[in-house]
Amino acid sequence: MLSSMMMEVGLGHYLFVGAAIFIIGMLTVLMRKNVIVILMGIELMLNAVNLTIVSFSHFSNNVNGQILAFFVMTIAAAEAGVGLALAVTVFKKFKDVKISFFEHLRG
Amino acid sequence: MTSTVLFYLLSVVSIVFALGVLFNPNPIFSALYLVLTMIGMSLMFFNLEAYFIGGVQLIVYAGAVTVLFVMVLMLFDLKKEKQAFTKGLFSSLLKYFSAGALLFMISGASLMSMGLMTEGAEKAEPITTKQLAALLFTDYFFAFEVLGIILLVVAIGAVTISRIRGGTHAK
Repeated sequence: MLSSMMMEVGLGHYLFVGAAIFIIGMLTVLMRKNVIVILMGIELMLNAVNLTIVSFSHFSNNVNGQILAFFVMTIAAAEAGVGLALAVTVFKKFKDVKISFFEHLRG
Repeated sequence: MTSTVLFYLLSVVSIVFALGVLFNPNPIFSALYLVLTMIGMSLMFFNLEAYFIGGVQLIVYAGAVTVLFVMVLMLFDLKKEKQAFTKGLFSSLLKYFSAGALLFMISGASLMSMGLMTEGAEKAEPITTKQLAALLFTDYFFAFEVLGIILLVVAIGAVTISRIRGGTHAK
């Protein structure tokens, strides 16, 4: 039973890979101090969700899922742009990009 | 058969490089590991017969977004960080434990739903880009236009934010 489960790649396999990459992205957000690496963790999480959406779309033969993945990708690119602009602001004021500097960034 | 081998190869590669993003103390290496992870994920999209999404992933993520990351890192001139990770043994143990518990729960749920959706129930031809475009410009046309406006706002906002001198005592 196990070997047949190993051989036939189904929806569950892709979901597991998506979950693993999502968890790694979450740990990156939780563990790191550098703002840019935290943004990379967010990108990893969004990408893992995209993998889940596209695998659902593939296994149920539904076109709408791929459109949703396309939208998620665009939003992720926009989010990276704003996040990096904030990182530039923090760096200009404090000469470092630690996440703890964000609380001093009023106004 | 080829798809199975490719799946295992790509999933191992993606997960290993994602762990590289997490554990490498140098942000530049993290960014380069991120590029490799994105390429692995895009090949996985190709393996899932989502050719358009795979190509967009390759262009947008592996091309544009990670180049943006590397450029900002070059701007900051960051060295290898002495303390790249958050302090505290207890809190980091709590974080690892909660992440492990979440992974356990998600994989348990996906294991239970393993038999629900099997490929080849009625195996139609793969989704073409033409179908995708037709849907994008009919049913999702409003969302598509809103997305364009969001990108414009983000472009203006990013420029504005990075010009702020910072703090309430800005000159």
